[in-house]
Parts: sequence; structure tokens; C-alpha cells
Amino acid sequence: MSARTRPQQRALWGGLIIIGILFIAFFGLRTLRAYKKFNGHRPPPPGTVETDVELIRDWMTISFISRAYRVPEKIIFDALNISPIGNHEKSLKGLNNEYFPESDGAVLDVVKAAILAHQPPPRPDAGPSASPPP
Amino acid sequence: MSEYLLTQVINYGPPLVALILFLGALGLPVGASAVLIAAGAFSQQGILNWPLTAVLGLAGALLGDMLSFGMGHFAKDAVQKKFGKSSAWRSARTAFQNSAGAAIFFTRWLVTAIAIPTNLVAGGSGYKFPRFMAYDIAGEAVWIILYGGLGYLFGSQWELVSDFLSNFGGLILGLLFFGFGTRQFLKRQREVKSKKVEA
Repeated sequence: MSARTRPQQRALWGGLIIIGILFIAFFGLRTLRAYKKFNGHRPPPPGTVETDVELIRDWMTISFISRAYRVPEKIIFDALNISPIGNHEKSLKGLNNEYFPESDGAVLDVVKAAILAHQPPPRPDAGPSASPPP
Repeated sequence: MSEYLLTQVINYGPPLVALILFLGALGLPVGASAVLIAAGAFSQQGILNWPLTAVLGLAGALLGDMLSFGMGHFAKDAVQKKFGKSSAWRSARTAFQNSAGAAIFFTRWLVTAIAIPTNLVAGGSGYKFPRFMAYDIAGEAVWIILYGGLGYLFGSQWELVSDFLSNFGGLILGLLFFGFGTRQFLKRQREVKSKKVEA
């Protein structure tokens, strides 16, 4: 290799080292943060029905939410007061833009409330916070 | 990743997952890994058929890899004309041929950000196509089973898995850049020193 290219090569490898350090610092911190968020979460037991409404996102469709949370579609569409016809494949965001353009996030809030209202009340012996019998 | 794509994956299922994985293998920024994890989660929730999604997804990813390998292969003459006399290109090509199997396998699922350059270099450096496909199939199968399987396992918590894996991939890429750069830098320094001693 010619001597003329040595400084260029040194710059190339030096640049690669600097990019590597930047990547390690940036993604290392993000990996650590993601791990902290992830840590403590365990896979749900097979066959568990989803109940946490905070996991509902505005890209989801009502058909999807209905199946994931085992709540009939009709209940959700009724809560929104819109027809299911032609709305099965639309996201919550799409429905919001179409039917409630003046109030941002309204569909998401109504869907969460409808799911919560449909869920059975927690059994007194279901969690560790249950008070002991007198 | 585009939320629009997630909505469409719910609506159109495995064929769309296959299309996204195909486009991802061609280098389009469609968030293929996140879609794969989401597809696993949607399967666990009873929305998608996992075996069908996995098979079609694997087919889409392999087709994309074949095409990008082909692009490198057909650009080979032009690259050879431009860089053929460069010793740096020749040594890079030899270095790639020596560790191509590991590079192809690991860039399918661990360091996915450099999968496209790997395909192009493999095609452009005259790497044997059947050998490329063998490592490619193994790597893509690991990707589908591992990422889709984690999505399936964690269900509705798939976004946490996706966030962790995408950042972890970036960290591994940084370590690779740093390790490779340091190795080459030290190698150059040693060469310069030995030449000075000889002189």
C-alpha cells in the first residue's frame, strides 16, 4: 500500500473508533434504560386475557382490541356511538380524525373506559393487596 | 416504526408481514424487526396464524436477500473496474471471504443494520451463491424464531422487547466498529514501527 494513503487510512480507522465509541455510549445508555423498563416484566401465562387498558394504542383497530381483550365489538362501537359498518379496519386514530376531529384522543379514552366497564370486578382473593379475612 | 404499518398488519396479516420483511431485506426503513416481534405478539393474541406468518415472513426475507445479493453480483464488474487495482479493496475482499459465513449469519439477526452492505459485498466479491444461501437461511430462521418467538412469549408487552432488542443491536454494532477500528489501527501502527526498525 502506498505511503500516500497512510494518513487517510489512519483517519478512516480513527473515525471508525470514534463512531464505535459514540454508538457504544448512545445505544449502551438506551439499552440500559430499555432493560430497566423491561426488567420485572414476565411473559404472561398462556391463555391469559389482556386486561391492562394502558396497553391500548391508537394504531389498534376495534376488531383487534375486541379479540385481545375478549370484549364484543358491539360494546365498543356502541360506546363510541358509531356504526361498525366500514369501520372494522380503521385505527382508533383514524376513527378519531373522522368522527371526533375536534377532540384529540377522545376515541382512545372512550374505548379504554368501555373495556374497563366490561371487565369483571377483581376478586377479593386475586391479588397480594387483598385484605385478610377478619 | 410507522403505526400505519402496524394497523395494516392487523388487517392484512401474514402476506403483509412477508412484504415488509422483503422490503426490509432490500434496505427500506420499514422497521422489519419490530414488525416481526409485533407479528409474534399478534399471533399469541389470536390475530395472526403464527406458522403461516413465520413461513411467509422467511420467504419474504430470503427473497429480499437474494435480490440484494444479485445487485452486488451484477455490480461486480463495475466495482472491479473502479477498485480492482486497489490493494485496500483486495485485502477487504479477502478478509470478507475469510469470515463471510459468520458475517452473513450474524447480520441476519444480531447486527441487522449491516445486513444490506454484507449482501452487496457478498454478491460483489464473487462469494458462492449456494454458500450464501445456506448461511442466509440459517440466520433468517434464527431471526424469525427468536424475534417472533419473543413477541409471541411477551404478547401485549412486545414494545418493551422491541425497544430493548433494537438498542442492543446498536450497541453490538458500536462494539464491532470500535473493535475492528482498533484492530486495524494497531495493525497499521505495528507495520509502521517494523518498517522504521528495518530502515
